[in-house]
Order: sequence, then C-alpha cells, then structure tokens
Amino acid sequence: MGVVWHLAKRAIFLVITFILAIYATVVIANGGGRVDQILKDQIYTDLKQQYARNPAFQRLPPQEQARQFNISYNSIIEAQGLNEPFFQKSFRYTFNALQLNLGRATQLHSSDLSMRVSDIIFERLPRSLVLFTVANVVAAVFGIWLGLWMARKALSAFDRGMTVLSVTTFVVPPWVYGILFILIFAYVFKVFPAGGLTSVPPLPPSPLILAFPPLIAAGLLGAGYVVYARLRSKYRLVGFGILGAGAALLLVWGLVLPADYFKDMEWHMILPAAAVAFSVFGSWSYTTRNLVLQVMDEDFVFAARAKGLKERDVLSRYVLRAASPPIVTSLALTLAAAWTGAIITETVFQYPGLGLLFYEAISLFDAPVVIGLTTVYALLLVVTVFLLDVTYSLLDPRIKALRR
Amino acid sequence: MAISAPIGLKAAFLEAARTKSGLAATAMLGFLILLAVLVPLLVPFDVVRQWSNPGQWSDNPKLVPPEWSEVFTGKRQPRTVIIPPAGQSGGFDHVRVSFEVQGQNYTIVVLKQSFDFQADAFPSEISLYMTTMFGSKSPLVRSWLTRPDGQEVQLFEDTPSLRASNVSQFRPADVITYSLTYPSFKDPSYQVYANVKQWLISNNVTTSGEWGELFPSPTGFYSNPPKAQVLLMAQLNHSMLDPRTAQVLKGKYSIKFEVDGFSSVDDANARAVVFGTVYGLIGTDDQRRDLLIALLWGAPVALAFGLAGALATVLIQTILGAISGWYGGAVDELVQRTADFYLIIPTLPILILIGILYRPSLILILFILVVFGVVGATTKVTRSIVLQVKEEQFIEAARSYGASRGRILFRYILPRVMPYTFALIALTVPAFIFLEASLSFLGLGDPNLPTWGQLLGNAYGAGPAIFYTFWWWVFFPAAGIIFTTVAFALLGYAFDKVLNPRLREQ
Repeated sequence: MGVVWHLAKRAIFLVITFILAIYATVVIANGGGRVDQILKDQIYTDLKQQYARNPAFQRLPPQEQARQFNISYNSIIEAQGLNEPFFQKSFRYTFNALQLNLGRATQLHSSDLSMRVSDIIFERLPRSLVLFTVANVVAAVFGIWLGLWMARKALSAFDRGMTVLSVTTFVVPPWVYGILFILIFAYVFKVFPAGGLTSVPPLPPSPLILAFPPLIAAGLLGAGYVVYARLRSKYRLVGFGILGAGAALLLVWGLVLPADYFKDMEWHMILPAAAVAFSVFGSWSYTTRNLVLQVMDEDFVFAARAKGLKERDVLSRYVLRAASPPIVTSLALTLAAAWTGAIITETVFQYPGLGLLFYEAISLFDAPVVIGLTTVYALLLVVTVFLLDVTYSLLDPRIKALRR
Repeated sequence: MAISAPIGLKAAFLEAARTKSGLAATAMLGFLILLAVLVPLLVPFDVVRQWSNPGQWSDNPKLVPPEWSEVFTGKRQPRTVIIPPAGQSGGFDHVRVSFEVQGQNYTIVVLKQSFDFQADAFPSEISLYMTTMFGSKSPLVRSWLTRPDGQEVQLFEDTPSLRASNVSQFRPADVITYSLTYPSFKDPSYQVYANVKQWLISNNVTTSGEWGELFPSPTGFYSNPPKAQVLLMAQLNHSMLDPRTAQVLKGKYSIKFEVDGFSSVDDANARAVVFGTVYGLIGTDDQRRDLLIALLWGAPVALAFGLAGALATVLIQTILGAISGWYGGAVDELVQRTADFYLIIPTLPILILIGILYRPSLILILFILVVFGVVGATTKVTRSIVLQVKEEQFIEAARSYGASRGRILFRYILPRVMPYTFALIALTVPAFIFLEASLSFLGLGDPNLPTWGQLLGNAYGAGPAIFYTFWWWVFFPAAGIIFTTVAFALLGYAFDKVLNPRLREQ
C-alpha cells in the first residue's frame, strides 16, 4: 500500500507539474501574446505593400480601398487564428500539446517541405540523439572509470592532478570547447571539418554496413582491454590480439575505406562529440571519486576487506553498487536532456539537430515548433523522473519500509 | 553531502586558502579583482561607451593580429603610421602661395610629408584624407607618392566641385569646404589603380596586354589582384605583380598633395594613414576596434555579473531550502514541487526568447536569470543538510529554552549552512558568466557593453568561414572566460575539500 500510494502521489504531482510547465511554455513561447501582435503587424505591412503595388486598387475611391483592405486583412487574421484573444488560445494550445497534437509550424519545414511539427522534430531527432547520447555515454563511462581509479589512488599526485583537471573542465560548457576545438583541429591542423552534418555536396551513400566500423572497433577495443586487464594472465595475449584487431579496424576505417555518406557524417560528429565529452567527463569523475571515497569508509566495506576479498572485487561489488543510485540518477537525467540537443553547441558546429531547430524556431517566432519541442522534452523528463522514482521505491529499503 | 564538524565561515575561508588549489584560486581571483579595479582607471568608461560607434576606430587597421605575433612569422610587420594635418607636430608641411596674373587670382598649396618604412610586409591599407577650401571656381587637386628609388607615382587627380555630393559645407563669401577621401587602396576600380597601371607600363614592368590578362576588367573575376599599396611600395620589377613574390622597397616615402586654385581664398589640409598589419597587444576586429579594451573591460563586467547572479540565486535557494527542510509539511511540499517545475521548463530557450523579444540590458538579463534560479540544486542540497542539522543537540537546546522557530532557523541553522553556501556560490559564478556569454554569443546580450561572450559572438557573426582564421579575435575572449571560471571552480573545490573532510584525509 505504501509504495503504491507514494508512487500515485508522485505521478499526480508530476502530471500537474507537466501541465503547468507546458502552459508556461505556451505563454512564454508566444511572448504572452506579443508574438501575435508582431505577426499581425507583419501581415498588415505585407498587405499594405502588396496593395500599394496594385494599380487597379489605387484607382478605387478611398472608402472602397479601406473596405477591401479590411476584408482581406481580417480574412487572413482569421485564417491564422490571430483574431482570437491569446488567453483563450493558450488553453487550446496547451490542450493540443498535452494530446501530443503538435500541429503545423508557421515558418519552418523539414527537408521534404513538410510543415507538420512532428515531421520536423522527427527529422532532426535522430541526429541530436546519436550525437549527444554517444558523447554523454562515452564521457560517463570514461569519467566513472577515471573516478574509480582516482578513488583507488586517493590523495596521490595522479588523484590530485586529475581532480583539478575534472573540476576545472566541467565548469566550461561544451560550446566554448567547441570553438577552441574547431580553431585547433579544423583550422590549424585541418584534420576535422569545422561543422555541419555532412560535406556539401553530400557524398554518395554506401551500404549501411559501412557505417559501423568505428562502433565495432570501439567494441573490440573495450573487449580487448577487459580481457587483457581482468582475466588471468594466460589470456593476456588474446586480449592483446583483440585490442590490435580493434585498432587495425579503426585504422582501416580512417585511412583506407573510401569516404562515403556515413563516414563523412561520423567524421563531422567527432569534434562536437569530443567537445561535449570533454566538458562532461569531469563531473562524472569528480562525483564518482567523492561518492566512492564516502562509501569506502562504511563498515560493510571494511567487513568485505576483512573477509579477504580482492580490492578490485570490493570496489566493483560493494563500493560501486552502493554508490550507484546517484550515478544512475544523473545518467538518466543527462540522457533525457540529451534529447533536446544543445542550442549553442549545435549552433557553433552548425549541426542541424534539435538544438539548432530550437534556435531557428525561436528566432522566427515559430511558436508551434517551440511548444512541440518543449512538450516532447518535458514528457521525456517526466517519464524519466517517474521511472527513477519507481526504481528507487523498489530498491530503496527506506521507501520499502513504508509498506510495513 | 556529509556534515563535518561545525566550521565557521572565516575558518573555512582561511583553511581553503591554504590548500594548493585554494592558493591558485586566490591568486587568479586576486589578479582578476586587481584588473577589475584598475581597468576603469586605465581605460575610462567613455572609451567603452564608444564601442558601438564605428567612427571612433577608423585609424586602426582592420582585422589584424597583435604586434607580438610577428615573432611567429619572423617578418617585421609594419605598424600604423598616421601623418597628422598641417599645424600639428609631425604633420604635413604646408606651403601656400597666392599671386595675381592679368587680374586673375591664383593660389597654389603644397602639402608634403615623408615617412620611413622599414617593415618586411606591405601595409594593409592606405587612406588619404583631404579638405579643400575654395572660392567660386573649383581647384585642381592632385597627389603623388615619391618612392625611395626616386620614382614618383601620381595617385589621383580631382576637381572637387564636379562631385557635388561630396561638398560638405558652404561657407560665407563663396568659400566651399570639400573633403576628399581615398581610403582603402585596394579596390582596383579606383583612379589610383589606373594611375599605377600607367606608371608600371611606362617603366616597362608590364604591358597593357599582360595586365589585362592578369587582372581582367573590373566587371570580371579577379585572380588575386595585387592591392594598390603593394604595387606602390614594392621593388620595381616583374615579381611585384604577384603579391606572393613582391618585395618591399624599404626607405623613405613621401606623400605630396598639390592644390591649384583659381582664387585668393583657396586653401587645403590633408591627413594620411598608412595602416599596419599588426596592432596593440590583442589585435583588432572587423570594425577596427582595439580588442584589448573589450578584453580588459570584460573582466569587471564578468566578475560583477557572475558574483551578483551567483550570490542572489544561491542565497535565495539556500534560504528556501532551509525553510523547506526546517518547517517541513506543506511548505516543504510546495518548495519541492516548484523545484520539479523549474526542472522541466526549458530555461535557456525561454531566455533566448526574452532576449529576442525585448533586447534586455545586462541588469535585466541578470534579474531574469535570478528569477529562473530561485529554486534549484542548492535548494535540495541545503534541505538535506538542514534535515541532518535539525536533529542535532544544539537545536534541541535552543528549542528547550524557548527560541522561536524563525530565530532557530536564522540564528542557528543558517550560519551552520553558510560555509556550504559559499562553496556553492563559487561554483555557481561560472554558470552565470557562461549564461551571459551564451546569450551574447547569439547576439542577444547588452549591445552597449562589450563582454567576452559578445566578442565571441561578433567574431562568429562575421561568418563561420572566416571566424577561425582570425584566431586572436576568438582565442583571447575564450581564454578570458575560461580563466575566470576556472578560478572560481578552483575556489569552490578548495572549499569543498575543507568542508568535506573525507575528501581531505583518509
């Protein structure tokens, strides 16, 4: 009863929060009705100019001119729904958004000229998703690994140096690194493209299978490392072999395979992903290090050590498990946030994902797109938060205790 | 966050400053604060107010790197030479002769000055400014450049009144002031260019046919046309036609203006600027502005903005978090749900929207950021600390002698939380600096005040393709932001180490 009641309460609060947040976005995305006025003024000026250029219209008497002008102006205003007071409209917009009925964009369109907001969003979504998920996962894995290593060698020179590096890198947002990386790698060394999704004109696509070598190589490298470091020494050679295979595949992909659409796209993603990862890994390593050091002081870790377990097992089975809830929480929230892309990072790299779409929509006052993006994002976030709640209520003994 | 033994704010400060990272942070922040205090004295605010006024910066070369960058190229780069008008020291020599022949008045004015040119590269531009005063008839205005090898090249020839649009002012007694400007000797369609071509042909450096082949007519496409100042200041041989092989002719050049007037009132004055290819400590941007000024002024602006924003938000969040943890119940629920709400609404897009709709000033941006930061991570941290402190004995003691709940909160609990708050302030400052930079980068910052983010935004706005070739325009503002934020991050880290003893000692 306790858990169900707790979850139900959370769910109700989250739904209310979600509705309020969507309503706030609707109001703000329309500038509290100000955008309507801007659009009206724009239609008015456009129509005036259009009529001023029309000689037949100029010959009409002034009253007739005014009447005709008003008729066409009002019909356009009505067709675009601008005559309705914003207060009323805001509820309709919110209701539509809550039903995931995202409507049509006013200015933007997808590359196949569809103006449906869902089409526009789903065209951009995979790009942001791939880029930011990969970058964040790489950063998180590397950061956690580094954090564990730092905790094991706590207070050594390595730990101190890496702590300072982590603390100082994660305060700087990815777009600043983006600018510096482009400056260094795209303009000084000319090894990566400065931005965009693909080269222009795009290279011809090849079979989809050629898109995967880097992933396979990364997998091989990871597996090779695990085999090399974790298994008994007689398998070390095998680990070396797998590592070598991964490196060779990466080399072949980078230097030998001809450039094609996917390779080109991956090539374009490396710098933005590196910028994001570089700005994010520090918070992972620093948090992990501190959490692990805190848990290491607990009695059960002491007991595990006293049992004679190997330090590595103590770390992975006892310490990391106890330290994992906050890590899982922030990983989940980071990944949910990754769905929106990053406005300025994508602008710096001219990477046509959701972040750039957000910026384009805002600067064109395309309220339906802004509302649609926020709705999708808020929904994802709410679902993530709720799933985390569910997970914790099932795992956390303190919440379990409510059941009794 | 684990709670250490109670530690006062001052003790925390002193201990944090003793650690290595704290020492580094103190040094970096000290430098920044010193800079922030000195900058308004070194560069008056009046200069910065002129930042958006393009007329103010016209004597600086356009988009050139800092002076010390010539170390990398190994070539001596020219500095900007300004020859001021006659009457000022180092200005043009002014000779004016008036005479009368057969009842007709004539006046001849000669303005002449020389400058020494010893650099290994050509100037980026040359600008000539001339003001002529004349009576009812317009005079003939001519100008020459005399080279160290004795060659004299005519630059232009003009009769002012024929171009009425350039007549700037009518004076009484039929005296007309006319300003003549030949900036940017790089446009081949100028008269200067035609004169240079004639001069080259007459010296057998090139032929009319070859010239036409190398540099097709102004309507066609150019293949890397040499700038006029390159041709004018290169050693006279065939290699000068290609800017890559042209050799600088070093020595004394002189610029001469002559005005042949047809009345007794004619007079003239002139000014010349030979633009260098390097400038100052940091270089210039596309509007010829000295980037050093903006870079220096960026420090106090960023510090003030970051500190004010961080102080306001963290203090509000701390107090709300403490209230939430201390009173519990409905108040707690309200604060926590507000925090959920703030988590879901997209802050940056909203800020961008406000920026586009209202073009806010720096103060207003700060205010909006604070409004969007009244609850957040700090609220949750403070709440959890208060929940632990709540159970301690000194609170119980205070309660037992009848202290009110408000008194306990403000006199007992908050002082206990304050050291953490200061660590969080130090860690929040970078966030504010970068939020301002983000908005400025998108061109939505305060247009009247140069900030580091705005410099980056200007550079980016000049076009992504040319953005990165002008590294000084990008690198220094970025370095300034990173330096400042890293200083605060180190300070926050030093605090963290003191307050979280487990991170300090094993």
